[in-house]
Amino acid sequence: MSYVDTTATVINPRARRRRILRRRFLRRPLAVIGLVVALTFIVAAILAPWVAPYTVQQYDYNALLAHSSSKHILGTDELGRDVFSRIVWGARASIEAGVLATLLAMAVAVPVGIVAGYYRGWIDAAIARLTDVLLAFPFLIVAVGLAAILGPSLTNATIALGIGAAPALIRVARGEALALREEDYVRAAIANGASDVRILVRHVLPNMLSTLIVQATVAIPAAIIGEAVLSFLGLGVQPPTPSWGVMLADAQSYLSQAPRLAVYPGVAIFLCSLSFNLLGDGLRDVLDPRTTR
Amino acid sequence: MKGSSRFVLLAVAALALVALSAAVAGARSTANIRNGGTLTVGLAEEPDALDPTIARTFVGRIVFMSMCEKLYDLDPHLNIVPQLAAAMPQVSKDKLTYTIKLRKGVKFNDGTAFDAAAVKQTLDRYLTFTGSVRKSEISPIASVDAPNATTVVLHLSAPYSPLTAQLADRAGMILSPKALSSGGNFAQNPVCVGPFMFKDRVAGDHITVVRSPYYYNKAKVHLDSIVYRIMTDPSSRTQALRAGDIQVEDRVQSTDVPTLKSTSSVSVAKAVTIGYQGLTINIGNKNGLLKPYSNVGSDIARSQYLRTAFDLALDRTTINKVVFGGLNQPDCYPIAPVSPWYKPTTKGLACNLHANVKVAKQLVKASGISNPTVNLTLGGTDPVNARLGQVIQSMEAAVGIKVNVNATEFTTALNRADAGNFDVFAVGWSGRVDPDGNIYGFVATKGTLNDSGYSDAKLDYILNGARKSLTTKARDTLYRAAMQIIHRQRPLIYLYHPVNYYGISKKVTGVDIYGDGLIRAQFAGFTK
Amino acid sequence: MGGFLLRKAGAALVVVFLSSIVVFVGVRALPGDPALALGGENRDPAVMAAIRHSYGLDRPLPVQYLKWAGKAVRGDLGLDARQLSVAHTIVTRIPITLELAFLSILLGSVIGVVAGVIAAVRRGKASDHTATTFALVGLSLPHFWLGLLMIILFAVDLHWLPATGYVSFHAHPLQNLEHMVMPAIVLGTGLSAVLMRQTRSSMLTSLNADYVRTARAKGLPEIVVVTKHALRNSLITVTTVVGLQLGALISGAVITEQIFVIPGFGRLTLEAVNQRDYTLLQGVVLVAATGYVVVNLLVDVVYSLLNPRIRVSGKPA
Repeated sequence: MSYVDTTATVINPRARRRRILRRRFLRRPLAVIGLVVALTFIVAAILAPWVAPYTVQQYDYNALLAHSSSKHILGTDELGRDVFSRIVWGARASIEAGVLATLLAMAVAVPVGIVAGYYRGWIDAAIARLTDVLLAFPFLIVAVGLAAILGPSLTNATIALGIGAAPALIRVARGEALALREEDYVRAAIANGASDVRILVRHVLPNMLSTLIVQATVAIPAAIIGEAVLSFLGLGVQPPTPSWGVMLADAQSYLSQAPRLAVYPGVAIFLCSLSFNLLGDGLRDVLDPRTTR
Repeated sequence: MKGSSRFVLLAVAALALVALSAAVAGARSTANIRNGGTLTVGLAEEPDALDPTIARTFVGRIVFMSMCEKLYDLDPHLNIVPQLAAAMPQVSKDKLTYTIKLRKGVKFNDGTAFDAAAVKQTLDRYLTFTGSVRKSEISPIASVDAPNATTVVLHLSAPYSPLTAQLADRAGMILSPKALSSGGNFAQNPVCVGPFMFKDRVAGDHITVVRSPYYYNKAKVHLDSIVYRIMTDPSSRTQALRAGDIQVEDRVQSTDVPTLKSTSSVSVAKAVTIGYQGLTINIGNKNGLLKPYSNVGSDIARSQYLRTAFDLALDRTTINKVVFGGLNQPDCYPIAPVSPWYKPTTKGLACNLHANVKVAKQLVKASGISNPTVNLTLGGTDPVNARLGQVIQSMEAAVGIKVNVNATEFTTALNRADAGNFDVFAVGWSGRVDPDGNIYGFVATKGTLNDSGYSDAKLDYILNGARKSLTTKARDTLYRAAMQIIHRQRPLIYLYHPVNYYGISKKVTGVDIYGDGLIRAQFAGFTK
Repeated sequence: MGGFLLRKAGAALVVVFLSSIVVFVGVRALPGDPALALGGENRDPAVMAAIRHSYGLDRPLPVQYLKWAGKAVRGDLGLDARQLSVAHTIVTRIPITLELAFLSILLGSVIGVVAGVIAAVRRGKASDHTATTFALVGLSLPHFWLGLLMIILFAVDLHWLPATGYVSFHAHPLQNLEHMVMPAIVLGTGLSAVLMRQTRSSMLTSLNADYVRTARAKGLPEIVVVTKHALRNSLITVTTVVGLQLGALISGAVITEQIFVIPGFGRLTLEAVNQRDYTLLQGVVLVAATGYVVVNLLVDVVYSLLNPRIRVSGKPA
């Protein structure tokens, strides 16, 4: 975040571009706020043991559904646990699922999409059909089915979310590869007899990176919400591990007695996914000047 | 689905429940009832097939109550009384022949006559139909005779005292021969004898029955029709009752009971069940249910001390308070206090309704196992199961036993339990009137529900003896001895007996809840 | 044109066929023996075997598949555990979800398109920022949570609307709408956010296009330019977006119906999963997949009618 030393940037065109991008980014207050909030959630998730005043398994059976107090700033839940601590710990599940599911989807989608778009022909057609089949199943049904088959857990929910997000990314990667293939520098490399692997890794992949980064910042909040949905349905994180989705599911039985229990975790999900969306929007504007804005 | 307790999901045949407060809601004066109107009942689950041959759900029995009468029925005090039969069966001295006289002038709801031939046809169907769930309930019946139109004779292969009780449930429902021979699927258009007859069913939504023109006692019937609405979400059932959309709410969830009690337009009825909720401990289920049993070698299977410590760490009172809002009945035995068998069979045994952390810690130490770990399998991902798992986990942590909770959908959990792929499995049983039905299947070596894989020659000897004994006193003694062994070895740890609550609008009268927990609405009506 | 349609339809058929195999195998990959679910408390091995036999679960998988697929082609999806026709159950449940989807799309489109147009026309002004921010909020809101909040506010606190449940329009139109308002808002918010963004960006492109400039140059009032020229073109994009959002809409319907206890198609799916009802689950997922493919085929066709260039390249933009 600090300003760079100017001597290097004059010589290095990449660093120069980076500096321009950073300036453009910093001129967008919403994007900066998004970055700061997202980082706050990430830091809270990592430092949960130090940030949260209580551990996840501190039950107080004599203080069930307690209101906010100096002891428990957000009160306690139906088992007498500190709600604030659970929200802090719950950030771990959300961030983990959001980031890992997106990485997984990328790892699957990018090579497949590039191959389809670069080689075209029958391999493209076959991949297109398979993607169609995957897309023919509503995302949540795929995720519910996978979580049911693999058994409910954060890891399996992450896998389900990753697979669910892959088809759309395959299409994006394919489209990019299709377009890049027609670029002069790629044609030149082909004419020079460079190997396919070299072309894909040196020329195609790096040039679609900015699109992929933007896609990732869109996919992360989607996966965060997806994790909450799966956990809400009992197919994600398993108690007693806290997760915002699980907290909402538990709160549903107490809507008339303690509606606040349904408010806090939702606010956390909302803020977390909003921050990534703001960040994503900012990055899109910065990295992809083609977008009309 | 979520929220539906698996205990009920399991509820099958038999007289599931016994009353504590055989609540009779509403005054019983017929003068106050007006004729006509549609009563809407909000059911907690969706009934399965409406064919008594294959039906297994508890809620299905509620629907059958209005449209499929049985040879025998229960009175408010749970005594067996004749319904389609004219009198109690005459039993031969060797207890192998039952002669049943039938009520005369009865018609099925398609207008055909009800007679002995129809009874024989139905019972034969129950005994031979592929996939019949009734078969095991009445399997000692070797053959059925119909010497004349109003007499049925049952020949048994062995004495079987629960037979009359079985004929007071689905195995005693008689199906119309015309409907059976029509070639259609009986479950899609069931025809029996009853005050109401089947009209329509929309899966997942409702079942409608309308007043029958053929019923033999039409004067008792006041309503035009009854709609059973399937409302699996407990909060929305309560809201619907308060809004007047439904008049009867099946099983109110614990968090809603206080709300309903303070609602002036409804009354709350309750029924303590003879079922139980417990923890099955895998001791010898190494190769799967009914395969040769040998100790699985897990921490809790190896050490009897650890099992006792596990039990003593549980504070049943707190579990009831935190998980169920204090509405169930905490206990330590497979037989409920409402059962006449309870006192004689549990006399002298200690039940820890509160935890004994100190002793539990000593026992963990005495077990010689350092850092014992137990995997707890829950059959359901609903919030109630989640609370139960976490509370048990926290209580065991207090005595140094680490519990890993593993909650899956019910069938998957059951698969695991049957395969022996678990340490501790939280499971419910709907309960049976006879103690044998609550004990034998679970702990006898040949028990078909023995997921614990528990095998004890002495216990087998006692339980088999109790099956053959005819006097209550002898059976009391034998079951008490059996309980002592179970209590010491703990292949199962019993936690509580479920208590069911029902909400009933004060606009209707004559909706009865007996101890079996079924909603009897067939003779109810709206007040004037 | 005919050849293009045939190719598209052929591809759709292949997708449906592959989906049916995925459905069939996927359902069987679910842990949990359906015989156990069917047997209830009775777990006698003999009873289990009888149940497996009567449901054909003891036959080889390919045989089971062919039998099921053969019947499915003729519209017979078999009997579920309640002994009710799966096809009939699905047919009774789908209209409920369709009503929900219709109301959500209506709500989502009206809000999304109007906000999108305003944002584009008043680009960079306060109303644009407000609309863009709302769209972002709409995208970031977990819809099921919005549902819970609405229940707390409008049902529990204010008693304005019923919290959960469903009444058919046929039985009681007003009550039906009362029950549908909150679910439609919950499901429509996400859609309106996506549509707002899409409308805004395609409107911005249109507003800068030559024909719109020409129209302006001719001295037509701005409102006419916007509605008659720019908006009409943008609506094509909007139609496509709604088509593409169908999958998200079905996913959204599952969780929305779960929260508001609406006995629609989405809830039926979850019921089938939880009850391990093979026949029901197979039918439900197959119908969902087929419906999705058919709608996309229709979108392709409509699109190609509107924009003939696509037929040449064979791929929609």
